[in-house]
Formats: sequence, structure tokens, C-alpha cells
Amino acid sequence: MLRRVLVGVAVVAAAGVFGWLVMSALGRVLRTPAAPTPDPATEAPAVAPPPGAEPAAGPRIKATLFFGSEDGHRLVGVEQDVPLAEGTIAQARALVEALLSTAPTPPLVRTIPEGTTLRGIYVSDQQEVFVDLDAVVRIQHTGGSMQELLTVYSLVNTVLVNLPTASAVQILIDGREADTLAGHVDLRRPLRKNEALIVTPVPSQSPS
Amino acid sequence: MQRVRLRVGTVLTCLILALGGASEGRAQTGTSLTLLSREGRRPVPITVINNQEYVAVDDLAGPFGTTAREAAGGLTITARGRTIVVTADQPVVSAAGRLVSLPAPALRRDNRWLVPVEFLPRALSLVLDTRLDWRRPTRLLVVGDLRVPRVVARTESGATSASITFEISPVTPTRVSAETGRLVVQFEADALDLLVPPLPQQPFLSAVALVDPGTAVAITTGPRFGSFRSSSSQPDASSSRLTIDLMPSTTDLAGAAAAAAPPPAPPPVDPGFAIPASPATGVRTVVIDPGHGGDELGAQGPRGALEKEITLAVSRRLRTLIESRLGMRVFLTREDDRTISHDDRSAFANNHQADLFLSIHANAAVRPNIKGAEVYYLSVERADAEARKRAEDAGVALPTLGGGTRAIDLILWETAQSRYLEQSAALASAVQESLRARVEMSPRAVQQAPFRVLVGANMPSALVEIGYVSNPEQEQQLTSADYQNKVAEALLDAIVKFRAQLERTAP
Repeated sequence: MLRRVLVGVAVVAAAGVFGWLVMSALGRVLRTPAAPTPDPATEAPAVAPPPGAEPAAGPRIKATLFFGSEDGHRLVGVEQDVPLAEGTIAQARALVEALLSTAPTPPLVRTIPEGTTLRGIYVSDQQEVFVDLDAVVRIQHTGGSMQELLTVYSLVNTVLVNLPTASAVQILIDGREADTLAGHVDLRRPLRKNEALIVTPVPSQSPS
Repeated sequence: MQRVRLRVGTVLTCLILALGGASEGRAQTGTSLTLLSREGRRPVPITVINNQEYVAVDDLAGPFGTTAREAAGGLTITARGRTIVVTADQPVVSAAGRLVSLPAPALRRDNRWLVPVEFLPRALSLVLDTRLDWRRPTRLLVVGDLRVPRVVARTESGATSASITFEISPVTPTRVSAETGRLVVQFEADALDLLVPPLPQQPFLSAVALVDPGTAVAITTGPRFGSFRSSSSQPDASSSRLTIDLMPSTTDLAGAAAAAAPPPAPPPVDPGFAIPASPATGVRTVVIDPGHGGDELGAQGPRGALEKEITLAVSRRLRTLIESRLGMRVFLTREDDRTISHDDRSAFANNHQADLFLSIHANAAVRPNIKGAEVYYLSVERADAEARKRAEDAGVALPTLGGGTRAIDLILWETAQSRYLEQSAALASAVQESLRARVEMSPRAVQQAPFRVLVGANMPSALVEIGYVSNPEQEQQLTSADYQNKVAEALLDAIVKFRAQLERTAP
């Protein structure tokens, strides 16, 4: 009996220590989705961007980023240099960060509210990419079905057009699965590329 | 483990003892929350720091049987053999191996560990494997699967009568009985989450309060009260409404009754008053869904027009038109300004066996010049279509009691709409055509999109964006009776066309 109690205590203590280690490692990162693997190496910027994180130099790739069209009903693909990164997670992060930080040349418009930050990227075994944004994307959103479609699919298309290995993209908000972003688009599952929204790409776009 | 169970048992016994007179009052002061379990009510102190409500970890030991151990700047809380690791000044904890975010950091003050109240539903519930439902307005923490409806009382008082209305969510049956000096409303529930606004002095009623054992509300009647009349309605899928008219003891009952009619209630649907719909038609019941509502404002115009108000106004106009001209049954998913989940909206349409579902919205864009109406029907992702096919092909074998399985036919809630895509496309096209004859359309008038509210609707469905509230000119139109009527006329016309089309294609 005593032995069983001791074993129980040991198991509880081990679980505690394990939980403690996990938490210290991931810092402020919130609940992770069940299947996807978190990317501890790139989580650090979520707390404070370490010096040298800015990819000033290094190899770059030509990627297509999607912005809102002049008529407000389409996505326009714009070619831009994005840092080359190792692996799906790091490359998806580079793509989404480029999309979030780029002010497109008028008459194209941003589809994602300014100030939205990327909290993390996860990739599941099925190569579904989970893009975890902070709540600014919801709070600052203008609302409306059309604008919400453009916001969601500029992200989805930017990841999927440039990462052929990725199968689908699911948007998380503040580390959680979201019902919708602004009351319309179903975000509860990974979304596939939406080609119906895309206008023929226009070449050249300089980063701001 | 056995010991933990034993301890929980002891704790519950204590809760029964603590019940007593506690059910009458409710701590509104912010000094404690009320823990409500199957065994009764029990206060837990609250400390407010930086506008955030905290509970002390050692106060949780009693009600939940938790133990806590400090180590190296952290605290390990154990319950039912599972642990939560809390770090000082961190807004995140690890509960049973999962990371859980909190709205504010855990604090260590005066040798006590304090955690935000949200720690209870978000983290503690995980390790206890018990639902903990935090009701902030009434500072109630509901433990387990108790039926604790939110009941909001509202009174209206006139010269010759008064009325009291209870908005009850979720739907809960009630019974009203008269006792000496008071009326008692008994709810079929385990407890009530009651909010009563301050009552002005009035001649018909003097007080509204919970009575023991906390599942009934007593209305103390005033000197002029003579008789009452109660009526129930169900304005939407997730709530019910009980209205009690209090009438004077002497004369003028007719006048009193007229004055006491609940003002926000819509005209009741009387199936006998309009031209009877032909039973052969495929459309007899229509559910209209005014988009957004309550906390969810939807889009906003530059001059402040709110999408949620526009959608409700247009939906009401459309209902009046359909009822009076087509004689169909029409239900709105919400009658007033309230928050409703997407699932409740489509469930409402399914429960009313609607033949058609229209969700009404107003659009928004970053550029103010963008305008025009649009119609959407559901687009289905490939994976969903496959899941639907699998479910339909195979049926589902459910394990039965005592071993073995039983095959059942199953329509996946998540794929209900995918069976109606063709009809929904026809509906969207009819709506587009009718709208185009009356209002300006956007360059992409009909589109498919994975819209949340359409997914679970088990009937032909479309979402109509009646204009861009972000466009100054359209904002003004959308709030005008003229434009709202045009849209309602167009939708009525579309329903007629769609019905005719169904009849033509019917076998």
C-alpha cells in the first residue's frame, strides 16, 4: 500500500516537473492545437524578437503575396522577395510575416488589419499549416463578408501558392481555434486554396 | 485516487451545510463569487487587482480538494492525480500537460498565490474533468452539468397595469402560481442565475427575489394588484420569454389588458388570416436570420449605422411581406438585439423544419467607394464532401448496451447543407435576379463561400449582403425605410420565383 502511494507521488511529481519544463520552454505561447507540432525555435519572437532575427541578408526567394484588388472583390498576387527558410514551418512564417508587414502599392489594399502579429506557425502530419494570429486581426477588422473572405484567403492563398507541400491552412486566433473571424467564414477547419478570388498576378512589388 | 474521491465527498457534504439561507442573496459587491454545485451554494472570496478578479489558490482546497506545493518560483496544484503548474507573473499555466492562457498573470502576494477567476473554467476544469461555467454578471461559478438558466427580469409599469417579463436562456419551462401577497414563478431547473434591475416604487409590485431552494422567483405584489395573466413565447432557439401582466383589482380590465400587452412582441403568426398556401408547394416555412446581434455588432458605417440593426429591420419587413402576401409561416432567429451562436441559428431553422433559410447581412470593405448587393451560397471543401459521402454510404454502427452494434442512418450536422447545394444555387440566383431589378449590385453578385451559418442548415439556404454599410451613400440607403422595403420586396419576389421553380422541377 505504502509502496503504491510512493509510486503515485513519484508519478505526480514527474508530471509536475514535466509540465514545468514544457511551460518554461514555451513561455507565453498559449494552448497548442492537438495534432500540430509547435515550432519552439521560432516561438521566441512571440515574446521578444532576439537581435539578429531580422533577415537582413541571406538567400531570398520570389514569393507571391496576395492583397485586395481595387474593386474590393478580388485578390491580386504580387511578387516579392521573401527570406528563404529551412522547412515548411520557417518558410510559412517568413511568408505570413511578409504579408503582414507589407503595405501594398495603391490601388491595392491590405487585407489584414494593420498591427496584426503572427504568434506562431504549426504544421500537422497532413501538412496542414496552422497560422496563429493575435486578436488584433479580429478587433480591428472592418467586418463584412467580402472583407472577411479577402482577409482569410489572402493568408490561405499566400501560404498555399508558395508552399506546394502544404495541403491546407487553418487560422487560429490567440492560440485558439476560432469559429469565425468576423461572423461569416468558417474557420473551424483547414481551408484550401481559393482560386476563384484571384486576379492574374501583377509583377514587381517593392517592400515598404 | 480513492482518498481524493473521499475528500470531494466530504467537501460536498460541507456544501450542503453551507446552503442554508445563502440562496436568497447574491454577492454583487465583488468580494466573493458563489460556487454553485449540485450540493448547494458556497462563497469563495475574490480579490480585485488592476480591475482583474482573482481567487486565492488556498481557497480552492476546500471546495475542489486541491493541494498546492511551491517550488522555485512556481506552484504545482494537484487535483484528482493531475497537476497544474502556475508561474508567478505569467498569464499562462500548464494544466494536465496543456498550456492554458489566462487574461492576467498569476500573482504571489503576502505569501498567498492568486490566480485570475478564469483559471477555474479554463485550467482547473481540465484537471477535475468537470465543467466549470463562470457567469460574470452574477458572479456565479456553476460546477458540473447543472441546469442553471440565466433569467433577466424586466418590469414595465403603467397607470392601470404593470407587467414583468423574464428573458430565460436556455429555454426552460416555468409555472406561475398565486400565493398570498405574491406570485411565484417555478422554473424547471437546478438553480437560477437571476438578474433583477433596481425596481422603482410602483403600485403593482414591490419586490422580485429568489426563493428557496433557489429554483423559483417570488414577485411581491403591491396594493393595487388584483389578478394576473401569464404568457410564454420562444423568440428564438436559445431562449424563452415569460410575460406576466399584473392587473388592478377593480375595474377597467379591458384598458389594463391593452396597456399591458408586451410591447416588443411581434404580431403572432395566425395561420388562418392569410391566403392558405397550397400544400403542393415546396415552400411553406421560411426562417429569416438577421445577421449578428447583441455583443456582435457586425460592420459599422462611417456615420455609425450598425449592421445588426439594419439586418433586424429588413428581416422584420420581409416577414411582414411574406406573411401577408404569401401566407407562409415565417420565423426570425432573433426578434431583438441579442447574441446568438451560428449553430443556434441553423438549429432554429432545422427545428422549425424550414423549407428555406435566408441569412441577412450588410457588407463592409476597406475602400469606402465599394458598394452593391451580393448573394452567397455555401462552398464545400473537398474533405467535407468526402466525409459526407462516407457517412451516407456507410451509415454508422453505434455500440449498444450489453455488447453488439446497431446501424443507424446519419446526416452529419456539419454537412447538412451540402445536400442542398444545387437548390441553394438556384435560390441564390433567384435572389440575385430579383435584387438586380431593384437595387445596385456588386460586380460579383453571386458567390460561393464557406460561411459558418449556412453549414448546418438542412434546407436550401443563402446569405444575402444587401449593401455596403462602409459606403457613405449606401449607409444612408441601408438605414432608410425606402431601401429596406425595396430589398424586402426583392427577397419576397425571389421566394415566389424559387417556389415556382421547385414546383416545376418536382416529380
